[in-house]
Amino acid sequence: MRSLFAILATTLLATPAVADRVTVFAASSLKNALQEVADGFNAATGHDAVLSLAGSSALARQIQMGAPADVFISANVAWMDAVQAESLVNADSRIDLIGNRLVLIGPHPATVEISPALDLAKLLGDGHLSMALVQAVPAGIYGKAALEHLGLWDSVAPRVAQADNARAALALVSLGQAPLGVVYATDAQADARVHVLGQFPADSHPRVTYPAAAATSAGAAAHDFLAYLQGDAAQAIFARHGFLTGAQ
Amino acid sequence: MSISVRLNHRFDGLELDVAFEAPPGVTVLFGQSGSGKTTVINAVAGLLRPQSGRVSVDGRTLFDTETHSWLPPHKRRLGYVFQEARLFPHLTVRQNLSYGRWFAPRDGQGTGEDFDKIVDLLGLGPLLDRRPALLSGGEKQRVAIGRAVLARPQLILADEPLAALDGPRKSEILSYFERLRDDLALPILYVSHSATEVARLATTVIALDGGKVVRQGPPTQVFSDPSFAPAGVRSVGAVLEARVACHHDDGLSELDAGGVPLFLPHVNRPLGTPLRVRIAAQDVMVSLNTPTGMSALNVLPGTVGAVRTGDGPGAIVSIDTAAGRVLARVTRRSVAALALSPGVACHAIVKTVAIAPEDVSGPPKAPEQP
Amino acid sequence: MAWLGPEEWQAVALSLRVAGWAVLCSLPLGIFTAHALARWEFPGKQIVNGLVHLPLVLPPVVTGYLLLLTFGVNAPVGGFLKDLGIVFAFRWSGAALAAAVMAFPLMVRAIRLSIEAVDPNLEQAAATLGASRLWVFGTVTLPLILPGILAGAILAFAKAMGEFGATITFVSNIPGQTQTLPSAIYAFLQVPGGESAAIRLVVVSVILAMAALVASEILAKRIAKRVAGG
Repeated sequence: MRSLFAILATTLLATPAVADRVTVFAASSLKNALQEVADGFNAATGHDAVLSLAGSSALARQIQMGAPADVFISANVAWMDAVQAESLVNADSRIDLIGNRLVLIGPHPATVEISPALDLAKLLGDGHLSMALVQAVPAGIYGKAALEHLGLWDSVAPRVAQADNARAALALVSLGQAPLGVVYATDAQADARVHVLGQFPADSHPRVTYPAAAATSAGAAAHDFLAYLQGDAAQAIFARHGFLTGAQ
Repeated sequence: MSISVRLNHRFDGLELDVAFEAPPGVTVLFGQSGSGKTTVINAVAGLLRPQSGRVSVDGRTLFDTETHSWLPPHKRRLGYVFQEARLFPHLTVRQNLSYGRWFAPRDGQGTGEDFDKIVDLLGLGPLLDRRPALLSGGEKQRVAIGRAVLARPQLILADEPLAALDGPRKSEILSYFERLRDDLALPILYVSHSATEVARLATTVIALDGGKVVRQGPPTQVFSDPSFAPAGVRSVGAVLEARVACHHDDGLSELDAGGVPLFLPHVNRPLGTPLRVRIAAQDVMVSLNTPTGMSALNVLPGTVGAVRTGDGPGAIVSIDTAAGRVLARVTRRSVAALALSPGVACHAIVKTVAIAPEDVSGPPKAPEQP
Repeated sequence: MAWLGPEEWQAVALSLRVAGWAVLCSLPLGIFTAHALARWEFPGKQIVNGLVHLPLVLPPVVTGYLLLLTFGVNAPVGGFLKDLGIVFAFRWSGAALAAAVMAFPLMVRAIRLSIEAVDPNLEQAAATLGASRLWVFGTVTLPLILPGILAGAILAFAKAMGEFGATITFVSNIPGQTQTLPSAIYAFLQVPGGESAAIRLVVVSVILAMAALVASEILAKRIAKRVAGG
């Protein structure tokens, strides 16, 4: 009994020999969800996960210039590819962490069926369709791909107002400057002033995915963090914020 | 053209309280620095808004604090000659001269002098296409005078216009002002602290001291008062009126001052020209008897009018002669030694060469003699 | 011109148009404001001075946001102007407005300095010669501050050409309407491998800025010579 108690005590009260710092470079669109996940990780392992949030392009360039990131979570497959091509991240550790959905938003509640039959131009009237930069920012790239796939792009192309990121595109709608916008479901969820009018069919655009990987120079704690991200606790948090998790 | 001024203004430790009426001609505000002269002229110009008062020129009210009327400077029909010329650097001399004409109303009021005539009068011909940056001090001031005159003003204002010039230039510009007074018959309000300028130019002298008018009148009258020394005791000097009698071969001119001959270095004036001569008090000696074997040529017999002493060693003695009242500055010791007191007969002796050319000028053609 | 694509040339042309109009339209107000701050006394003068300098100290995105709230769709001033036929939201005119607002403090500072350098005695002299305040300004002050106005305009033009934060927040990025050079450069930098295209546009920006600077130096020298006399 005494030996059992000793084993339990050691297990329950055990802290790792060293508390490691894990520097996580992550896309800013992951902010709310990732902060909760990081807190959970810190509590569970005793490591110290520190988040540095910015646009994926800025983070990737910093890593290319030698920034000391241990983990990189990108909102954009292209930037992860670029960083991987320079062998700055461990290719074996790379995973597709979570996904997202594209939605059509507006300032007032309504239901719109998004299909090739939709008269989007008429719905816009003389207003603008708010999207992220369609050639540069993933939300915009995917949005344009979806509209093209549905044959709706040409009719609305002249009326597209491109904001520099998805959150800015969201803001234009919530401030009443644009009657419609195309953003991620997670963005729409974050702002109570906009309503989801409809969801783009999953087959109308390439899968929206957030790749994550550990840096080649990173230690064991970084890999622990990646493992934690894929665990049930973290995935539940992501799902609650509207991301598509492995189960979906 | 008469000016009527009444001003009350307190600022910077000076309490200005002046009131005067000036007849047509050149009115000179005379006094030391800080006596308020520039304040008065700026109030007339509208560049200063006094706390209370009234100024009118020829019946036209420029401002009156009681009726709350106030004409802005550009409506007052004035021409102002400043101490520092203030020519517009981006315009040629010709354009500077013509500046005021653009704004002058063509209603016949004010001097409608012709451009060419003024250019001739002031000798500006060769300068017309130059820029102010290339002009000398004297040339700039001449252009400034021309510019003010050509603005068709009712009244010319001048604030110590000679102060920034050197000796020969001062005399030259002063003679241009005399021409404005004589040839163009322009009314002028002139500020100066120099007794010489006042003596030559003024029809009327308004003497200011500490913000108040202490003397008022024609220069012969004001300057002959022995107790009058607003610009300091060294500037005291009486002004005599005389006529050119003849020119001598040895470089002297002889004037007839009330029957008494007065010799001075050659003055380039025709015979019979009436002149004003200022005789500085410190160039005058006093003798009880007719002196002999002495170099001075001017001996004026007369009677002591008044003796004024101060704290220092000097005293001013006024002597009434046939030529007019002459002031002499001598020591108190000599006053006591010679027992000079009112009524004593004596002679005023003036060295010929002591009479400077700038102290001689033609009197103004005033409409009435005092 | 295979060196830059058609959309890139479009961005260059738009930037020139936006910056040009921004400076042209704000110059009268800039001169007026500079003159008021330099020569007049009035209650609230320090507040006006502060407001003029606000775009210099606020983050550009905040300025863009304020413009959005004021001149955007359905906004108080924006709606009113729309009835008059003037629209700023999502138009190049909005980009010009954002550029003008951001460049205004620089323009006013430069012009104010040159007005303060004009001897007020000259203005006084002009008044005594019969010129009303307006004429004094037009015939004396204005010719003497021309070099300063030019400097202020060029500075404002350069700032307007480089303006990004307020523009993208207020009128977003619409090729042909609001995609100025800085917006295009930013978009290229977001894409891996887009650096070379971005650098090409940066080179164009630098050439334009240098050309404006050289032109202003030459003009300023000529005007200064004319003013000083010679």
